Parts: sequence; structure tokens; C-alpha cells
Amino acid sequence: MNETVMPWIQWLQDQPWTTSWRESAWGYPAIETGHVVSIILFAGFVVMMDLRLVGLAFKETPFSYVQSRLFPWQMAGMALSSVTGLALMVIDPLRFYTNIFFWMKMAMLVVAGANAMAFHLTTYKSVAAWDREVRTPFRARMAGAASLVLWAAIIVSGRLIAYNWFK
Amino acid sequence: MLLQFFEWANNLPFSVAYRESLWYFPVTQAFHLVALAFFAGAILVVDFRLLGAGLNKYPVAKIARDARPWLVGSLIVMTMTGIPQFMANAMRYYDNPVFYFKMEALVVALIFTATLRRRVTRTDEARLGRVWPKAVGLTSLTLWLVVVVGGRAIGFY
Repeated sequence: MNETVMPWIQWLQDQPWTTSWRESAWGYPAIETGHVVSIILFAGFVVMMDLRLVGLAFKETPFSYVQSRLFPWQMAGMALSSVTGLALMVIDPLRFYTNIFFWMKMAMLVVAGANAMAFHLTTYKSVAAWDREVRTPFRARMAGAASLVLWAAIIVSGRLIAYNWFK
Repeated sequence: MLLQFFEWANNLPFSVAYRESLWYFPVTQAFHLVALAFFAGAILVVDFRLLGAGLNKYPVAKIARDARPWLVGSLIVMTMTGIPQFMANAMRYYDNPVFYFKMEALVVALIFTATLRRRVTRTDEARLGRVWPKAVGLTSLTLWLVVVVGGRAIGFY
């Protein structure tokens, strides 16, 4: 795996345009700041929705209303953070390829996505039956709690990419 | 006076221990960001509601009341994770203009949130007209965006 992929990573790293973005005084910091701001937009709205799902906030507001009204802004944050995140990966691939926290973050992103998808395809189908309940079904509370823990862990590992302790 | 305070903070045994540890500072900062996600959520739902977006079927006062414990709670966690970061790096921050910029922006944002924004999110909307909620929502979003960008940029200087 390493021997097949590494030459491509190195090739991308050595391109003049990735190099000039990586080395420019404002390019990298500007994209990274955009990444942080868009993650906060995404995570902020996801956290508020999850807190409703576990029954800790917006207790008198139906869950489906919170979900449907915040969803477009969550997706806007996700789109912006994906674009800026991909840009960071492309202009400095070697840095991420060799970083354990980056891979932890990517793995948890997959799990968080699967958790959200599974909730939508199963428990959320019966939302009409529990929409106004503060104490939502056990599986709904578990999905909300898992989402909160996963996104917190994703933010932590994302921040720790800056520290390559296990090179 | 300011220099003395920064020096004092910088040289406390607690600060020295923080500086010398490999992971105290990074982990503290990571949890500062997790708390920021909660804080941003509590700010965003209310500011978006003031602008007529998001949870707009419910009164501003209700959304603000629901968000308030999370706003205050996450602010406490951010203060508790922010102070050690300052103490560990006080003498580095003494010469960092971005650090002062963030702290000044933070003071402005906090005062705005605790005064005008608090007033508007507690007043009956019928008495506020159309301009006040939108102006306050937009100002709040802008101020907090400046704080977040300033905070990230401390490390760029």
C-alpha cells in the first residue's frame, strides 16, 4: 500500500502549484482559518440538534422541526469544511499522509457519517410517534450521544494533526 | 504593570509545568475547540433566528432561553481551558499583537452579548420592529466571527 501510494503523494507534494500554496505566507493560514470557521458552523448546528435528540435542549420543540430547519446550514458548513479540508490535503499531502491524527479523524468521519445515515434510515422513520417527547426512544438518544462524542473526537484529533507525535 | 502581570503568570509553577509538558497545551486547546462548538451552536441558533432563519416558528425569547444554559456552560469551559493556555505562553503572547486583538474583540463581543443582545433576546418581538433583531443578529455573528478568526490567528503570528 505504502509503496504504491507514496510516489503519488510525493509527486503531488512536489508540484509547483501545491508548493507555492504551501509556502505562501497567507495561502495556507487563510484556507485553514476557513476550515475552522466552517467546521464551527457545521458542528454548532449539529450539536444543537443532537442536544435536542438526547433531550437536553429545546425540549418543547419537535425534533423533526429542529432537524429540518438546521439541516441546510449543517450541510452548508459540511460543504465548506470539505472543500477547505480537501484543499489543505492537496497542497500538503505528505504532512497528512504520515500523521496518525489525520487518519483517526478520517476514520471517525466515516463512523459519524454512518451513524447519522443509520439513524435516518431506521429510528428517524418513526419520528411522528416521538417527535414531541423530551425523552426520545433509546436508539434515538444513543444516536445523538454517539454523534456528540464522535464530532467532539473529530475536532480534538483535527486539532492534534498539528502535533505529529507518532511519526 | 502589564509586563509584570504577564511575567508573574508565565513563571508560576503551574505555567512552567504546562509549558514543559508535551501534551497539556495541545489537549487543553483541543477541548477549548470542543467547547467552542457548543458555544457557537448556542450563538448561531439565536442569531440566525434574529435574522429570520433556522428555528423561526418560535419566538426569539424562547429559542434564546433554551440556548442560554449551553451558552453560559460552554463559556465557562472555554474560560477554564483558555486561562491555562495564556499562562503557559504569557511571555510569548506579550509580544503577539494578534493575542491582544483577540482579547479586545472578545471583550467587545461579550459586552455586546451581555447588554444589547441580551436585551433584544428578552423583549417581546412586536415591540422591537423589524430592524433591531436583524441588526443585533448580524452584529453578533460578525463580532464572534472576528473573535474566532483572531483566536486561530494567534498561532500564525
